[in-house]
Amino acid sequence: MRDVYAVGIGITSFTRLEYPLSEIAAYPAMMALKDCGLSEVDHLYVANMGGGRVNHQTALASAVVDTLSLTPAGAETIENGPASGASAIKQGFLAVASGMHDVVLVTGAERMREVNNLEVTEFVATLTHPLAEYVYGVTLPSLAAMFTRLYMERYGVTERHLAMVAVKNQNAALKNEFAHLQQPITIEGILDSPEAMTNNPYVSEPLRFFDCCPVSDGGACIILASEEVARKLDRPLVRLAGVGQATDTHVVHERESPTDLLAVRGAAEKAFGMAGLTPGDVDVAELHDAFTILEIVESEEVGFFPKGEGHVALERGETALGGKLPINVSGGLKGRGHPVGATGVAQAYEIVHQLRSEAGERQVSGARVGLTLNFGGFGNNVVCLVFAREE
Amino acid sequence: MEIYAYKCKRCGHLHYPYRMVCRNCGENEHNEFDPVPLPREGKLLTFTVLHSLPPDFEVPTLGLAIVELTNGLRVTGQMRIDAPAAGMAVRGEVELVRTEGYDERFGMVFYPA
Amino acid sequence: MAVDLEKILRPTERTLPPFPAKYVTLASGEDMVIRQVAREEVPDILPYIEPLAHVERDFYDVVAARVYAELLAYVRHRMQDEYVLVAQIDGEIGAVVNGRAVDEDTGMSLHTLALRRGLRIGAHAFAAKMEYHMDILNQKEVLIVAESPIGFRRWMIEYKLEKRFDIPHELGGVPSWALTKELFEAARGSLVVGRRPVPDDALAKAKERILPPSDPPTPPEDLLAATRSRYDSTGTALMSQRWKQGGGK
Repeated sequence: MRDVYAVGIGITSFTRLEYPLSEIAAYPAMMALKDCGLSEVDHLYVANMGGGRVNHQTALASAVVDTLSLTPAGAETIENGPASGASAIKQGFLAVASGMHDVVLVTGAERMREVNNLEVTEFVATLTHPLAEYVYGVTLPSLAAMFTRLYMERYGVTERHLAMVAVKNQNAALKNEFAHLQQPITIEGILDSPEAMTNNPYVSEPLRFFDCCPVSDGGACIILASEEVARKLDRPLVRLAGVGQATDTHVVHERESPTDLLAVRGAAEKAFGMAGLTPGDVDVAELHDAFTILEIVESEEVGFFPKGEGHVALERGETALGGKLPINVSGGLKGRGHPVGATGVAQAYEIVHQLRSEAGERQVSGARVGLTLNFGGFGNNVVCLVFAREE
Repeated sequence: MEIYAYKCKRCGHLHYPYRMVCRNCGENEHNEFDPVPLPREGKLLTFTVLHSLPPDFEVPTLGLAIVELTNGLRVTGQMRIDAPAAGMAVRGEVELVRTEGYDERFGMVFYPA
Repeated sequence: MAVDLEKILRPTERTLPPFPAKYVTLASGEDMVIRQVAREEVPDILPYIEPLAHVERDFYDVVAARVYAELLAYVRHRMQDEYVLVAQIDGEIGAVVNGRAVDEDTGMSLHTLALRRGLRIGAHAFAAKMEYHMDILNQKEVLIVAESPIGFRRWMIEYKLEKRFDIPHELGGVPSWALTKELFEAARGSLVVGRRPVPDDALAKAKERILPPSDPPTPPEDLLAATRSRYDSTGTALMSQRWKQGGGK
């Protein structure tokens, strides 16, 4: 397998976008092509989860390759629930690593706000098991909430820890001009004030409004290329060094241990194995904080902190910008937004941006190794990517 | 009305919900399972009260729970318990849990034992 | 003669008890003052509302257009027993809510318009309105309708409002829902929030001037882009509109 490099990145604002889904996917691709100065690619992968159901647009990749005038290059749509983004990057990686293609464009997009909130909740709930979960009215927040309750009982995580993640990430997003939320919040306002229950009501007990990521539209793109192509461009060399994926039981109640996310553990192990690196080598990470509890748990399962101590590291400020291991300095899903198909690619965008030392105000100084964790379903299909700066 | 677990005809491993290939021995053919009704008694493993409901629910909140049944299998279901607590003994009934348009869906609802 | 005619056209004068100002701490840590405004202050608010009548999403256009009419009617003495509350953050307008007293026992909730999003300001403003009807006006029930799905989810479902479908609501004559005294008491813990009295300097700042919203909802940059994907996926309407605007070139 050849080495694969990230040579171009592009992103839209994550907000409410009143444009067709194919344009939301194409715009960041145009930006990424400008970024690396290339005008042709060998193949496209388009990550998207809801096109068919929410936007009445199937076979999205076929629309995108044409609107970018990149025909006759091959193109496919990759759907892996909320992990579509990283899965599409994985496919791009394989295409270049195998030697089949030299330049592959991977773009992820989602337009969730075309329908109202109730329908969005419903759409996301379709990834649950139809007979054992969906039929009961189970939604993703309810699964996260039941998991959170167990985690609180077992490891002593409290609502305050969850609020700390919310405040850290939503405020970090203020330094990210593309992020969805541009509203600072305080622990006092969402937890301590007498009006906190109205400011921050329960979505599914014990998870509250600010514990959940917003519903966003958006797109992000990354262009992967062979070493030969990468060295010709005048951009810092960032290699996609490790790719790992693992799955777990579809139904949440069948997990071996109800407080473990084994697919996260497995995906990270494989990614580190391929990259020849360890969790201790990572300088900056983008974890999948669709719910604040997930940042805490994933930080343990990928190996940054011992199991059950993620919230302790959070308390010590280790995961904020300036700390030992900054997590989600882009705002994460919580602050930047979560257009489901785009998120995996947006995480990669951020890491590449950081490793190129171009992240300005939110730059993690000296970042050489970065990790992204894209969490599909409720932990039943997880893809982990490890990037490394060379030279 | 019952909700069924599926017992592998070759090794006896119980599954809920259905799987096509036995998770334990991996040796069965499709449909080589015996349906076994789920027991109704168990204890509450975890639960939540959901406030942001999908469209076809007209109630303001919905109790959901994961219950560990007496035979070791776990089940997700609705919960109609006023003061739930982890580890609490519960009893399940198979009732109407959701209406999608004109279709009625049935499933496990848990009450205090 | 002119005075007599005006007297006939005006609503009968009835003084409603005033809403005692209160304040809440928002998720951002900022304090928000909710107070009743007098007729003289309402013209200052009108220019903040008018632009929202051009924002199609989330039914802002319908709500803003109707609120504008109701506030104008209040100023010009053409609305019976209306009240207007505003929510202000450091003087800046966050929300406007209004309603009417139909009679001693029944209130008619009109609108809740949030001009700053992301901090649940609408929820606080709506709750203040309900407190006004129930605790201050001592009414038995308030009739409510929602123009947007967000409103429906937040009020009808969350507060378990009773259906009063035989009563046409003043907002378009659609079937009403009601918040009864019982429902209000049951939800008091979450409905009646906020603290009194408002600290002197905060109240003075709020009364000094109602400042314009800093981040109100705005129409999309490309007006036709909003329609393009949903109703006209080929962009034909967009093209022909531009062609017309360009004088047929």
